Amino acid sequence: MAAALSWVFGCTALGPAPVRLSEVADDGDARRRASVRLVLEGLDDEASGRVVGAASQYERALQVDASNPWAYLALARHWVEQGEPDRALAFLDQCEAQLDPADSLRVEAHLAGLRGAALRERDPSASQAWLAQAARLAPETWGDGWLDAQELR
Amino acid sequence: MAARKRKAARRRPAGRARSKKAARRSRGARRGWKIAALLVVVSGFAGGFVMGRHLVRLDRVVTERFEGRLFRVPSRVLSAPTILYPGLDWKQIGLRDGLDRLGYRPGGGDPLPVGRYRWGEGTVLLHRRPFEHPTRAEPARYVQIRLEGAEIGGVRDLQSGRELGAFFLEPELVGAYHGPDREQRDLVQLGDLPQHLVDAVIAVEDQRFLDHPGIDVRRILGALWVNVRSGGIRQGGSTLTQQLVKNFFLTPERSYERKIQEALMAILVEARYDKSSILEAYLNEIYLGQRGPTAIHGMGEASRFYFGKQPRHLTLPESALLAGIIQSPNGLAPRRHAEAATARRNLVLRLMQDQGRIEPAERAAAEAEPLRVSSTASEPGEARYFLEALRRQLPDFYGQETLATEGLVIYSTLDLRLQMTAARAVREGLEALEERYPKLASDGAVRVQACLVALRPQTGEVLALVGGRDYGQSQFNRCVQAKRQAGSAFKPFVVAAALEPVPGGPTVTLASRLLDAPLEVSTPGGPWRPTNFDDEYRGEVSVRHALEKSLNVPMARLAQDVGTDRIVSMAQRLGIESALPRVPSLALGVAEVTPLEMARAYATLANGGIRPQIRTFEDVVGSDRRAAERLPIAFERVLDAGTAYLVTSLLEGVVDRGTARGVRSAGITGPVAGKTGTTNEERDAWFVSFTPELVVAVWVGFDRPRSLGIPSSRAAIPLFVRFFEDARGGRARGSFRPPGDVEQRMVDPESGALALVGCPARAPEWFLRGTEPATVCPNWANRREPEARTARRAPGVPEAERDAREPGVFEQFLDEWFGRR
Repeated sequence: MAAALSWVFGCTALGPAPVRLSEVADDGDARRRASVRLVLEGLDDEASGRVVGAASQYERALQVDASNPWAYLALARHWVEQGEPDRALAFLDQCEAQLDPADSLRVEAHLAGLRGAALRERDPSASQAWLAQAARLAPETWGDGWLDAQELR
Repeated sequence: MAARKRKAARRRPAGRARSKKAARRSRGARRGWKIAALLVVVSGFAGGFVMGRHLVRLDRVVTERFEGRLFRVPSRVLSAPTILYPGLDWKQIGLRDGLDRLGYRPGGGDPLPVGRYRWGEGTVLLHRRPFEHPTRAEPARYVQIRLEGAEIGGVRDLQSGRELGAFFLEPELVGAYHGPDREQRDLVQLGDLPQHLVDAVIAVEDQRFLDHPGIDVRRILGALWVNVRSGGIRQGGSTLTQQLVKNFFLTPERSYERKIQEALMAILVEARYDKSSILEAYLNEIYLGQRGPTAIHGMGEASRFYFGKQPRHLTLPESALLAGIIQSPNGLAPRRHAEAATARRNLVLRLMQDQGRIEPAERAAAEAEPLRVSSTASEPGEARYFLEALRRQLPDFYGQETLATEGLVIYSTLDLRLQMTAARAVREGLEALEERYPKLASDGAVRVQACLVALRPQTGEVLALVGGRDYGQSQFNRCVQAKRQAGSAFKPFVVAAALEPVPGGPTVTLASRLLDAPLEVSTPGGPWRPTNFDDEYRGEVSVRHALEKSLNVPMARLAQDVGTDRIVSMAQRLGIESALPRVPSLALGVAEVTPLEMARAYATLANGGIRPQIRTFEDVVGSDRRAAERLPIAFERVLDAGTAYLVTSLLEGVVDRGTARGVRSAGITGPVAGKTGTTNEERDAWFVSFTPELVVAVWVGFDRPRSLGIPSSRAAIPLFVRFFEDARGGRARGSFRPPGDVEQRMVDPESGALALVGCPARAPEWFLRGTEPATVCPNWANRREPEARTARRAPGVPEAERDAREPGVFEQFLDEWFGRR
């Protein structure tokens, strides 16, 4: 049945549009909102080259709401970019652990893509598979195999 | 008469005898003069030599000090910044107290000056000071905080008109690593000081500083005259250079010998160094007051201490006050002797005007200003155990000497408000215990101790740590140094090891049955026979029941099935680092561990099996203001999320129904999981607990283990309750969310079998997917075909077969309904 529907609509590979944090800035309780805003400021910092300040801002976001999955996602991206894949993978794990099931699908592409990027050195074939999955789920965002801070924003 | 004779003799012609005598006398006189001259020359040389040697020695002393490290600057530790945001409970975070602690003062005017706030009806105006931070320095910011009931309604930046999502207050001073002298200073460079501060100091302390060579002869003569008239040493006459020399090299003794020494050294200092260097050294050295046992030295620290700001932001009257109190920092202490301090400040202002350093109008305006010292005065003493724990986490090269001298700034993870709450909970909690159980205080010299550590489970950040009831009396940090038996607080590790899926291993679920009956285990030391706390046996009980009621015997049985190796491995993976004995009684908590280890291990459970690295600091900044060290957040998955959730669920049951139900009866609401632990003879009382956002470990006991005479539910839980009520208003936020591979089924509490509709008793239970019970409750099964619902253990049963046998809820209902019919 599902296969038939997929075939009919031709959307087997595509998932829902990957999340942009500005879209979820007003979701959740007050703590979550404040925390997400700090993550957004961190992403702006990162886009402006203030890398250390950005990481600090993500950590502040966790100080406000330590169960904010977006802060872990942003930190995972940050550590991938800083060339610390193990650290990035741990943050991805933590992001998944904190994710609300309702958000899972919209983050799936980011998780897959960042996992692929983090595994590039250690396990190239697994990395390729993850990146391919990310590109399939969100070709516009992950088509180039890279998640820019602004794409997450 | 003699003179006349000599004149006459000169006039008279000399007689022979007389002339011989005179010649002899003359020769003698010449010889005498020669000897005298020789003596003078020799003694001159000798004196010169001695003096020269002395001067060389003094010069060496001076240069060694000036060329080397001029000052010992204790490293300071700052708290995590407070973050304000809409929706935050401003009462719970103690916003007003926080502003006071930070040295903000109520003020008027529009806009408010930096460092002031105005608390109005539903609004707080605050002009926050700029503050330094290694990664995110913040500029001064003028904001309006709207208060809506107990919550912050919004924060608006009044300069830009923008609503802020989050607003930072600067980190607070937690404490410092002092050397034995307990001097606190914040080094400043001359260029960073306002000119009016320099002018004020020169005006009142040494107005000819820029002209004299180290000593001021006019001033010395004036002082000498006063002293001669009074018959003692009443007045100094010291220049700034002499004061600096005295503070650096000499004793406070008042004697002419010491004054000469001081003058010589002052001249040497001036000969070797320029005026700017001397002035900068003086302004960093000078004693300016006392914060408890800590001496405040230098303008940098004094500016922070009295006005809560950096010296470059000092105003003219503030500068004049600081210059004024140099004469007698305690006698003129502005907080205690405001009138005298004001008079002294105004004297400085008058001198500044007299010497042409300020205009009359400036003086008048400055004199009209009231003294506005910040309200902060004391260094929070409650955090000293935390400082000690932080020191242990710093890399080895930050030794005690380095910390006491290098002037580092350490940005810690401490939540200062939570820390004060924890310190109060420990102090008052123990006093209440002693009052309720006087036996605890029967030996006056040996007092019962406690420790409390609070972590953020996701990040491992230490938010509060109190290692004992009074650091002044005992520096032994029980949170990180005391290794005590964990007692039943260790049991969750046994259960985690049992529940964790192991290929080919037995499947244990929370509903699995354990036998609570006499048990004897052979050990090399003889048979081991565990007993329950009440010496009774209950027959078959579930894993959940065994843990919730903290039954030893079934837990020991479970541990026998699991094996010591797996239990040790599990405890270590969760975060226990102490050596664990591989003995059967390990299951009941004979291992000696620290409260911090226990907190970390429970944090791993709270965090869904991801073990956080303990983190007491974020950044270390060197004296050059550059980041020297960073400890990033780090964690590692060590247990699958499903198993971690099952243990969490068990520990929630301990709080809701089990040995920790005192937490609920005390009124604590929301998701709380935890485990009590009471060791043999009630020597140690533990309560290790967590909510989705906070892990708290409490230990109570004597340093030299002896019986408390009360269990952990009466010793440790009250401290936790006290802390949690203050810290979180008694309400835990968030929820423990089951991961995808965990599902809930109804079970029969008596048998542990699935309880379908029609079973007499049903209770929900959590299972890892695929490990649900293979049988249904006996009563229900009796009414069915016996082969229809036979034993169905998940492992070992082929997947297809299992799926085929597994009924859905709707299917169960239909089965039941049709069955009845």
